[in-house]
Amino acid sequence: MQSDNYTNRPSDAAILLDTDAEEERSGWRSNRTRLIILVGVIALAVTYMVYAAFPGNTQYFVSVSEFLDDPKLHDGQTLRVAGALAPDTFRREDGSASSRFALGDKELDVPGLIPGSRVMEASYVGVLPDLFFNPHSEIILEGSYDAENAVFTTDNILVKCPSKYQSLQAENPDVAPGAAGATQGGY
Amino acid sequence: MAATAGRPAGKVSWQNAVRDLRLWLLLLTAVLTLVNGYLIFMVAPTDAVLGHVQRIFYIHVPVSILSFLGFLVCALAGIGYLIRRTERWDRVAHASAEVGVVFVTLALVTGMIWARPVWNAWWQWEPRLTTTLILWFIYVAYLMIRQYAPTPQQGRTWSAVVGIIGFVDVPIVYYSVQWWQSIHPRQVIGPEAAEGSLEPIMAQILVFSLIATLALFAYLMLERVGLRGIEDRLSQLRREGNTN
Repeated sequence: MQSDNYTNRPSDAAILLDTDAEEERSGWRSNRTRLIILVGVIALAVTYMVYAAFPGNTQYFVSVSEFLDDPKLHDGQTLRVAGALAPDTFRREDGSASSRFALGDKELDVPGLIPGSRVMEASYVGVLPDLFFNPHSEIILEGSYDAENAVFTTDNILVKCPSKYQSLQAENPDVAPGAAGATQGGY
Repeated sequence: MAATAGRPAGKVSWQNAVRDLRLWLLLLTAVLTLVNGYLIFMVAPTDAVLGHVQRIFYIHVPVSILSFLGFLVCALAGIGYLIRRTERWDRVAHASAEVGVVFVTLALVTGMIWARPVWNAWWQWEPRLTTTLILWFIYVAYLMIRQYAPTPQQGRTWSAVVGIIGFVDVPIVYYSVQWWQSIHPRQVIGPEAAEGSLEPIMAQILVFSLIATLALFAYLMLERVGLRGIEDRLSQLRREGNTN
């Protein structure tokens, strides 16, 4: 059997190792500690650089109230604003894909708007994401503020879902298993 | 097992033991994967918000975590190689980097498939996704460096260094959803997982899926380390043939 050949010979790894070690002994033996320290220092430096550089200039999105409080963001620059759909504000123009709605602040993993939150008017032309109307969704609008008409012109809509997974039965024990609402996500 | 039958007990070599272990692991992985599929599609409840697409979670999370394990093994074996300079450490490091790259690729692909219906985008340049892509590039570079180094000896040393430094990105990926604003959901498993982020039955199926994926990981590792051993032996024989 083939495997027997392997066992009866001196370990092939050992042969390779010996030649390798002799070639390199003079250089690496003395430099090894230095190399390990160097690797450690570079690793720490990379960690620090990533940690220090990231939050400064890349805020992935701002909340609705952060946006409303900062007039510097109202100059038509492209940015992302995140929040929850304000109830009963969604209107669609008849026979078109244009829609108007208002966005308010949302707390992480809490469905719906923060009570009493201020809202921002927004407009969008296009197909809405599947989870747009779900109260658990945090809606992220990509676009720019149109100061003249006091409306946020949305180019693209993203949906952030909660970091929490549960079945419909666990969320709402009144719903019978297999009820029509069980596939409300659409998938 | 067939490989050891009819031979005196004392002559059973460790290679045969490893081969038997490999067969058993393959069988175990196959059974666990089948049961896992049944649990994911037939037993796991449908998520209230996301619907059926949330089931990809039971694949996406385990392959992500197992890719972290692969890179941890790669970094530790890289340290082992730099200290001991033995082929054995390098084989383990090489195999774990390859398996890790496969798993992190799966994590990226399953994540994109999940993101399209939920986020309304295949990809976002946001912290979790970007740092994961960097992780992918680091360990693809690890595999390329092995090929491009002038000598195999240098390839082993250089790649060990890349494997160790590259591991720095793993905790960054894990904590990215917490350090920075992110569209990606927060951790549901590990030291920073929020309590109650998973319904008990979902958590149980996730743990089962982790075990099944771990079995696959262990099997791929054993298979790849063994194959590297054969590759090394072949190049050793070639070298002997050339010098004689």
